[in-house]
Amino acid sequence: MTEKELFTMVGIRPEAPAPEKKVRRLKGFPWVSAILLAVIVLCCIFAEGIMTKNPAYLDLENFSAAPDAEFLFGTDTLGRDIFSGIWYGGRISILIGFLATLISTVIAVVYGAVSGIAPVWLDTLMMRFTEIFLSVPGLLLVLFLQAILGQANVLTLSVVIGVTSWASIAKVIRTEVRQIRSSEYIVASRCMGGRFFHILRKHLAPNFIASIMFMVVMNVRGAIVSESTLSFMGMGLPLEIISWGSMLSLAGNALLTDSWWIILIPGVFLVTLLICLTNIGNYLRKAANRKESNL
Amino acid sequence: MKRNPFVYYGKKVLVFLLSVLVLSVAVFYISRLAPGDPLMSYYGDRVEKMSVEEKAEARERLGLNDPIHIQYIRWAENAVRGDFGISFKYKQDVMEVIGQRIGFTLILGGIGFVLTFVGALLLGVLCAWFEDKWIDKALCKVGTLLSCIPEFWLSLLLILIFAVTLHWLPSSGAYDVGYKHDVINRARHLILPLIIVVLQHLWYYAYMIRNKLLEETRADYVLLGKSKGLSKREIMFRHCLRNIMPSYISIMAISVPHVVGGTYIVETVFSYPGIGALSYESARYHDYNLLMVLCMMTGILVILCNLIGQIINEKIDPRIKANEVIETSEVTKV
Repeated sequence: MTEKELFTMVGIRPEAPAPEKKVRRLKGFPWVSAILLAVIVLCCIFAEGIMTKNPAYLDLENFSAAPDAEFLFGTDTLGRDIFSGIWYGGRISILIGFLATLISTVIAVVYGAVSGIAPVWLDTLMMRFTEIFLSVPGLLLVLFLQAILGQANVLTLSVVIGVTSWASIAKVIRTEVRQIRSSEYIVASRCMGGRFFHILRKHLAPNFIASIMFMVVMNVRGAIVSESTLSFMGMGLPLEIISWGSMLSLAGNALLTDSWWIILIPGVFLVTLLICLTNIGNYLRKAANRKESNL
Repeated sequence: MKRNPFVYYGKKVLVFLLSVLVLSVAVFYISRLAPGDPLMSYYGDRVEKMSVEEKAEARERLGLNDPIHIQYIRWAENAVRGDFGISFKYKQDVMEVIGQRIGFTLILGGIGFVLTFVGALLLGVLCAWFEDKWIDKALCKVGTLLSCIPEFWLSLLLILIFAVTLHWLPSSGAYDVGYKHDVINRARHLILPLIIVVLQHLWYYAYMIRNKLLEETRADYVLLGKSKGLSKREIMFRHCLRNIMPSYISIMAISVPHVVGGTYIVETVFSYPGIGALSYESARYHDYNLLMVLCMMTGILVILCNLIGQIINEKIDPRIKANEVIETSEVTKV
């Protein structure tokens, strides 16, 4: 007997073919952004194979040289080759983006889940705190913390950015957890003696992961922006640690000498990366909200 | 249900005072936990020339050996009297330093806020009116693109184009030497920073208006209006827009600290002598007395604006609960 006949026997119609759904899920996927992002990230990881010069070498004879055959993207005011610096420095920028997001997501998941499961008074208290946290301009908080921690390195900068950017994700997680916390399977798991982290990993996380993916990607973007902004302002990574932000911190000198490439080239890479991340993030958001937009 | 206005506002004032208290304790403790000698913030570089006995004596005199909560109470007592200590970088009373700078930020942030408020409304309505037409799509694309560009790089780009290459506008400062009271000169210095401030926030709020309006146009009363024979314009402006205004206004009230106080980067890049650049300097040079007051000021502004937002909401539109506004405002930008 075929499957169709079996269905007719029990009196239900066979379900609509599944593959169509899969095609729809990928509809509107930002291929260009994803490929561009992958190329940039891969090039940064394998920077050693691409670099034409030592990015840290100060070529004092050729400082602020315009782009030419030898220095593909020119050199900065200290005589460092920008083409090599882009790939080598991109590594640090992207690393900070991921590290900071990892830190903030872990904080957000724990905080959000605790708040979601907690009794009402504690939940209210915790959410009040996130609201206050959210309404303080983030950069001031980062400045304040970084001022206290002193000279930044990759790790402290990631921590500072991470601990200041978890609040909005935590709120979303808390809302999701509130909705499912009294579901039967969670009550059952609790009755069987499931610990908090067990429930979080097995039951809660699979439910909220789709709705926070978009925010996680946006957090990577935010962290990269924060790193570059802080380094640019001289509060982040020092000049010796090459990142896109610290390369751009030479912009002040570059403006005086009219060397546009020092400002434009790292910036274009930075903005391209951010645009790719935004497009992917927006796709994820639409994918997560697909049920709601029924128009 | 009628509430006693005294109880209502009394409660708000109480919440405000309590929040300020918590904020001040947090700021004080964090800044005291900071590495580095607090003597530095009183004496600056002179500390290095002081002998051990002199240091110990100064510590005793300033009360730095006391437990931290006693130090806090002493600081709070002085703060209530308006004495926040001396900025060691400027060798002046903290409040004096801030007083010299705050006008510049209020001008930049204030004008920026008004332009953002009006511009976002216009753009949002425009997009909602032409939903899914090319103009809406184009504006949305441009908006997404602009929101991806870091503020400082956009500033650099504008300086590069308009100041360095074209020589149309000045690249830094608030006025040229000797032109302090020349309105035109100051306006010319204001253009580029203002563009950045507005662009940085404009799109976020315009998009919000657009989405809220679109949500509103899908409501049932629009169908009623249509069947009554009202034109699209009447429905859009007399009904839909009016319905979203309360939440927009209260969200904009909450956004005041972000627009007016969020000028750190712009002011630093353009060397504009305002509070933002001052915050940055004080953090950079570990001028804790100054940094603490600036953090307190921002915090108080935040708390105050949140409260005002809540009150506006509860007064104009009783349908919305106060919490909902904060939740939907999603002020999540860095």
